[in-house]
Amino acid sequence: MPQRPAPWPAGSVATAYHPPSLAGSLTSSPATTLPARPSWRERGALRLSALLAAGVGALALLGQQAEPAARAVPPADAPNGALTIGAVIALTGNANLYGQDQRVGLSLARQWAQSRPRQPGEPPLRPLHFQLQDGGSDEATAIAGFNLLIRQGVLALIGPTLSQQAFAADPIAQRRGVPVVAPSNTARGIPQIGSFISRVSAQSSVIAPLSISEALRRDPRIRRVAVFYSQDDAFSTSETAIFQRTLRARGLTPVSVQRTQLADNDFQIPITAALQADPQLVVISIQAVGGGNLVRQLRELGYRGPIVVGNGMNTANIYPICQRWCDGILIAQAYSPELDTPINRRFRELLRRSSPDHAPSQITAQAFTAYQVLFEAVQRLQRRGGLQSVSLGQARKALMAELLAGTYDTPLGPIRFTPDGELVQGRFYVAEVRMDPGGRSGRFALVRETASGDGAQ
Amino acid sequence: MIDHGLLVQMLIGALLGISVYLPLATGQLSLATPAFYAVGGTLAALLSTRWAALGARVDGSFPLPSFLLELVLGGALAGLLALLVGRLVLRLQGIYLAIATIALVEIVRVAILNLPFTGGAVGIFGIPQPFPTAAGYLPPALALLLLAGWVCQRLEVMALGRAMAAVREDELAARCMGIATTRVKLSAFVLSAVLAGSTGALAAHFLNTWNARQGSFDTAVTMLAFVILGGSRSWLGPVLGGLLLTALPELLRPVGDVRLVLFGLVILLGPALFPQGLVTPALLERLGRWGEGSRP
Repeated sequence: MPQRPAPWPAGSVATAYHPPSLAGSLTSSPATTLPARPSWRERGALRLSALLAAGVGALALLGQQAEPAARAVPPADAPNGALTIGAVIALTGNANLYGQDQRVGLSLARQWAQSRPRQPGEPPLRPLHFQLQDGGSDEATAIAGFNLLIRQGVLALIGPTLSQQAFAADPIAQRRGVPVVAPSNTARGIPQIGSFISRVSAQSSVIAPLSISEALRRDPRIRRVAVFYSQDDAFSTSETAIFQRTLRARGLTPVSVQRTQLADNDFQIPITAALQADPQLVVISIQAVGGGNLVRQLRELGYRGPIVVGNGMNTANIYPICQRWCDGILIAQAYSPELDTPINRRFRELLRRSSPDHAPSQITAQAFTAYQVLFEAVQRLQRRGGLQSVSLGQARKALMAELLAGTYDTPLGPIRFTPDGELVQGRFYVAEVRMDPGGRSGRFALVRETASGDGAQ
Repeated sequence: MIDHGLLVQMLIGALLGISVYLPLATGQLSLATPAFYAVGGTLAALLSTRWAALGARVDGSFPLPSFLLELVLGGALAGLLALLVGRLVLRLQGIYLAIATIALVEIVRVAILNLPFTGGAVGIFGIPQPFPTAAGYLPPALALLLLAGWVCQRLEVMALGRAMAAVREDELAARCMGIATTRVKLSAFVLSAVLAGSTGALAAHFLNTWNARQGSFDTAVTMLAFVILGGSRSWLGPVLGGLLLTALPELLRPVGDVRLVLFGLVILLGPALFPQGLVTPALLERLGRWGEGSRP
């Protein structure tokens, strides 16, 4: 290796140098150009790294905590007798539109639980605390939220908002034996993560085909269908697969399939491409904001036919986006505000009282339901004495068994669970968006109710 | 308080910080780290879920040697990709290099999204676990960080490291002195990619699931923030930045809804108060002299 002696003092930046191979340079000892003893800066770096290493080591030691699962569950009438339900939902990030709705639903459920009329002779309830943590819209934040609440000794968890987050965070709860009720995870395979994972949100494979059926029932002559979906969104891609499968089963092949991105708001190009195929029906699987814009632009560019949208647009937040152009779009829902049962009337009344301008939506109702099923299961367990002289770990296990065994009358209608935690829901709905004359707000008007034999497919 | 899961996330942040720092040490603003991180993570996720020879068991556990093999393979694949791409993109400088590397991140993201075997937008889930708890990930993450730190520290006194510094200070002058600047830059780029690839393999197991969103432009900006807050003149800067900025949003949880506002303030005030970052050469020198009575 040709190396001239450096004309400048050792320790300055550069020496004449022809780099050898990488492996060689890591092991070679260029001692000739080195200062005899470490420079101040090097010593400082060593000291700082030692300091950081000591810091990390100290944090690792401090992070070692007693496993709360071994703690005994206090009796219900003890001053510390309250058990805690934790929730990790997306209050920040791009899923926060859903998280805010869920926060409302959870708070309504707590009001409902506190104000529930007591039957005469009913034993005292087990008091429940509630802890809400932001799960962000990414995997790491959801994991951190789950870890935090599990460490604090929660009895059960509600969340996380997105299915992708569930795939990251649920295995942690499963390993620690903490029951999880997912309020909005619709992807395939969520309850299969483990025995402690369940959900109150019906899979898209159950709901999505209903709206297509409704559109075809209204106009059986439809032959040409255009499909839009955002290809970088887990929810939209799985939903569009179901939509397209349903179409194929009806003998319809999409004349145009347009793939968009989650962050897109301008759809002129895909719309123009799709309209060239002259579709008689448009099927959309895109999240709320993008979907609202797509519907509006479709209408503005001259499409007059029926539009079927997916679950991502199942929120009143689309009204201000597509305004009067929203009118008439068809959507399948797991919840209908028009369901006339005592619990749904109570849900709507609480909602009207606490947030008058918040339209009842599926996401809110499902979050309400998640808390409700946990609350009812805890109280049943308490009545049967299942929370007496057990450890928290045993109580969690017993609660999971109790949760799956029960049936529940919820704002979604009557529901129960399969043994592996999948939801079995009795009724599904197809709604049509009807906008007010001003075009600023509207409602999901129920057009059809479907009784499902078995919600879990 | 900081639990083991968060500590592992902090170490991953520190590793990614070093990965962004290495090209910066040759004066190259490369944002390609998330691409290599995604490549490493996807490889680990694919191998552990699809390749039975690695020994993933039905109960979701995974043998440790296979995990270590994945760290090596993840790093190697990312390094190979960097070698191929680096020759091309390292002809660019400054903002043009940054844009080219952003393009690389996008290409990798879209590829992972559309390849038939990477699970599309849902990604790959049910990744088997080599350790029963998060604490198990601490030793490998710490070892990887120590190794990366050791290499960086050695670089300061090695010919390659000095050549990197020379290229950073003035590429033209460095070339006039006979430094093969392209090779120096490429070496730093490959080292950075190897580190990011291994970190990705570790993160895939730690996160239980892997999808195209892990390596996005947003991640690149976050990683760049590690280096900018920590300081880009010593490898300890990005380590400190990565540790701090990963922990901060979690430590701020007690303040509730405004926690991300505070987090944003820190990112805003950090460079304003410490324009060179938290760890500067002057600080290291002061630390080195600390406790010494006499000046040399």
